[in-house]
Amino acid sequence: MSAMTLAVRAEGADTAQFEADAVRRDLLATLHPIGAIGRVWIGSLVAIVGLAAAAWIYQLVNGLRVTDMRNYVSWGTYMTDFVFFIGISHAGTLISAILRVTNAGWRRPITRMAEAITVFALLVGGSMVVIDMGRPDRVLNLVLHGRVQSPILWDLISVATYITGSLLYLYVAMIPDMPILAEAARAAGRSPRLVRLYEVLSLGFRETPEHRRRLARALGAMAVIIIPVAVSVHSVVSWVFGMTLRPGWHSTIFAPYFVIGAIYSGTAAIITAMALFRRAYHLEQYLLPEHFRRLAMLLLALTMLYGYFTLSEFLTTWYGRTATDVRLLDLLGGGAGFGLVFWGWTVVGFFAPLALLVFPSRRSLASILTASVLINVGMWLERYLIIIPTLETPFLPASAAGIKPHYFPSIIEITITAGAFAAFMLLFTLFSRVFPILSIWETAEAAEEASPAPAYPERRHRMAPATIGVLLLFGALPSVATAHRASGQVTPAGAAAPVARPGNTQIALKRASEDGQDMLVATVTADGRPLAGVTVGFSVARTFGNMTLGTDQTLSDGSAAVAFPKGVPGDSIGRLRVLATVQAPAELVGTNATVTMSGGLPTRVTNESQPRALWSARPPLAMIATILGLLLCVWSTYAFVVGQLIAMSHVKQEG
Amino acid sequence: MSMERREFLRSGLLVAGGAAAGALIPAHGDVAEPATSNAPAAAATLALTPDGDLVVTHAPRGASARPTSEEVRRGVPGRKWVMVIDLANCDGCGVCSMTCAKSHFVPSDRQWLRVFRMQDDPASTPYWMPRPCFHCDDPPCARVCPVGATFKRDDGIVLIDNERCIGCRFCMAACPYSVRTFNWGRPNDPPAATARGYSPEWGYPRRVGTAEKCDFCPDMARDGKLPHCAGVCPMGAIWFGDENEDAVTNSRGETVQLSKLLRDRAAFRELEELGTKPRVYYLPPDNRHYPAPGEPGAQNGNQSHGVEQR
Repeated sequence: MSAMTLAVRAEGADTAQFEADAVRRDLLATLHPIGAIGRVWIGSLVAIVGLAAAAWIYQLVNGLRVTDMRNYVSWGTYMTDFVFFIGISHAGTLISAILRVTNAGWRRPITRMAEAITVFALLVGGSMVVIDMGRPDRVLNLVLHGRVQSPILWDLISVATYITGSLLYLYVAMIPDMPILAEAARAAGRSPRLVRLYEVLSLGFRETPEHRRRLARALGAMAVIIIPVAVSVHSVVSWVFGMTLRPGWHSTIFAPYFVIGAIYSGTAAIITAMALFRRAYHLEQYLLPEHFRRLAMLLLALTMLYGYFTLSEFLTTWYGRTATDVRLLDLLGGGAGFGLVFWGWTVVGFFAPLALLVFPSRRSLASILTASVLINVGMWLERYLIIIPTLETPFLPASAAGIKPHYFPSIIEITITAGAFAAFMLLFTLFSRVFPILSIWETAEAAEEASPAPAYPERRHRMAPATIGVLLLFGALPSVATAHRASGQVTPAGAAAPVARPGNTQIALKRASEDGQDMLVATVTADGRPLAGVTVGFSVARTFGNMTLGTDQTLSDGSAAVAFPKGVPGDSIGRLRVLATVQAPAELVGTNATVTMSGGLPTRVTNESQPRALWSARPPLAMIATILGLLLCVWSTYAFVVGQLIAMSHVKQEG
Repeated sequence: MSMERREFLRSGLLVAGGAAAGALIPAHGDVAEPATSNAPAAAATLALTPDGDLVVTHAPRGASARPTSEEVRRGVPGRKWVMVIDLANCDGCGVCSMTCAKSHFVPSDRQWLRVFRMQDDPASTPYWMPRPCFHCDDPPCARVCPVGATFKRDDGIVLIDNERCIGCRFCMAACPYSVRTFNWGRPNDPPAATARGYSPEWGYPRRVGTAEKCDFCPDMARDGKLPHCAGVCPMGAIWFGDENEDAVTNSRGETVQLSKLLRDRAAFRELEELGTKPRVYYLPPDNRHYPAPGEPGAQNGNQSHGVEQR
């Protein structure tokens, strides 16, 4: 008795009801007490997560030195894990949302698992960023001092939006199962607190047209909005790399390339999860070969799409042959560098899955599962290959400084990565102990769909107006630093003339017009009498030294002169500190005069000439407007969904 | 103006607080600014020039003074610090790099100023290229910093506040010149570094899990002194100055007009095509008077750091 064949077979409402009851019984069976194998499984996962937690504590105590990351390769395995898990999280979106929006009937036994993958992958992926931080204790600075010019803030905002949305989505789709679960738990004599949990989460859902209508609305709106949110998340993740100028990262196709890669690995992840749960919970009647085959076709399409993007990315840089790109490609493809990993990845991540999936006759369950596992290994390698080789290929070659950057994950990084995978599986396992891993109501619905009248007509959903609550999120946007005016300018002091020397030699300096020319004139006197034949050097004071303007010998009237400097910047109102210093004869050397006079160019004091440049404290207005606009669209949809749920919980008891 | 007052001004100097000076001449932009309350009141000197100009100058701040966080973020008002490195005059001795490391207590696993052995193409001879932070006018690092821990000041300098840095290392990935380094482990600063207390203007004492880099020695510039590297270069190859003054000075005490130097020597900036607008100019390595890297008697550019740096 399977849901698929059942849908075809069922002819009357009675049969359908009977079959739906059977579905209920079978799927609830997944919540039965844990067996011996289950205990070992959960125990091992807990042990690995515990080991990883210990590794993290060790890293917190000693700093990131315990990793193999260094100044050239400054991102490593943790970032690889982050990108990989965010990629996996796209499973939920694609399978669940896209198939729901297109009303693909075969999605039903898969949606719950897909949505759960999204939530847990996001939790694990998000944690990797914190683990990667040098100062996780300062994570709140992202809110206190956040700059929306930084793609990391885009990440924070979009991942937060995505995690909220996918939790909401997962939950909304679980509501109709809650009364069933409450009833079953009560009947099975489970703890009253568990029963209470199911009851609270059910929001009083009953099989009434009003409840169904509101549920359909909420689910429809969520399924639509979660797709662009998911696309935005992996685009933004790619932009953490794409927005830098580095070879291998600064690519315009990075956003779609990452999104495709994410859906690719997410689909592979769900097939793997399906196979595991099918075996562990004996769901062979529900997760049919047909489901795997349909997903395999999707996976095949994604394999080709992914191969196309990869080819486009590498062919373009390979053909263009700029020096830095060639250095990177040599490192990637060459035997000395990442050659083995790179070519291994093309096999594992593309050619082998393609070979396994492309022939319909060969598309067995085993080959589909093998392809999926290979794809997940390949996608992790791809993230690694995107991050590390580029960091080993800086613009100024490290070899020119006698340095050879290299990286291989340390035992701490490997342990924490293992812990991340274990945590992901543990969360998934525990979830499946509390909530049915297949959607009971949707699977049962398949049976009822055979009856002639569609029970609840689908309607177009109106979007609710934005709520003020949405605005709360904007509190996280960076505080705008106020510009302050200049405080006192620091310049060397002193403006005095004339200055006496032993022997009573004096030098007087002034600006004068001689023969219609603007001149600097120094007059050297000894006891009041002019001195001839003295070499006088003229200079203008700069911060770190005196800039020579010229030299001249005094005439019989004791005067020496050079042209007054044109175009020399003075202070804010154009004052210059001019010096005249005797350079010969030897006994007079050092006699000097300093005079501050006008005649220089006023220095334009610019206060933050680009107040809204990308690097400034304040973001460009267009950027704020774009981010706010997008957030408003998404969060107002969330608000609409929450509104439906609230309305649902207030539906009056009938009769 | 009465005779007494004129005599008073001419005979000597009227030393007044910044606020008093501001009250006297309110029209002149920066000089009219009262000193900020938490800054040490800079002594202002008021004098009459032979031309009849009334001038106010501020005494340089003492080396001991710690700039306020406000001053650190804004930079020295009215300044645009700039560096010119004469590649024709760099013999790769590495004294700049070593002095920088000593002055900033830079640990041996990193360099703030690194000397690269460059060769533009197979036909031309190699040359040494000292690479400090370029303090770009469109700094990719400051663009991507999520918390404003690294910032661009009005005086052109890009600094890092290690009390705010979250250690995400995005700035390190974003810098096309690989300037930035990181405190991977717990720092082991000598007592002299910890004694001074922290300011982003000198970058120590260090903090674990934060980024650091060349800072253009703004504390030195505030005192009218050249940065350590420029001050010690035996060849006088590193020039430093204020673009607003259109002048740069080297370790030999030579001060030349910046615009003329850049024009006459066909200056360039590293990777100009990236659009980062570095504040460090290079003068091409032509007509050199020392062995090129690799030739007999050539220096090694302080590249003897072995495997510790990577």
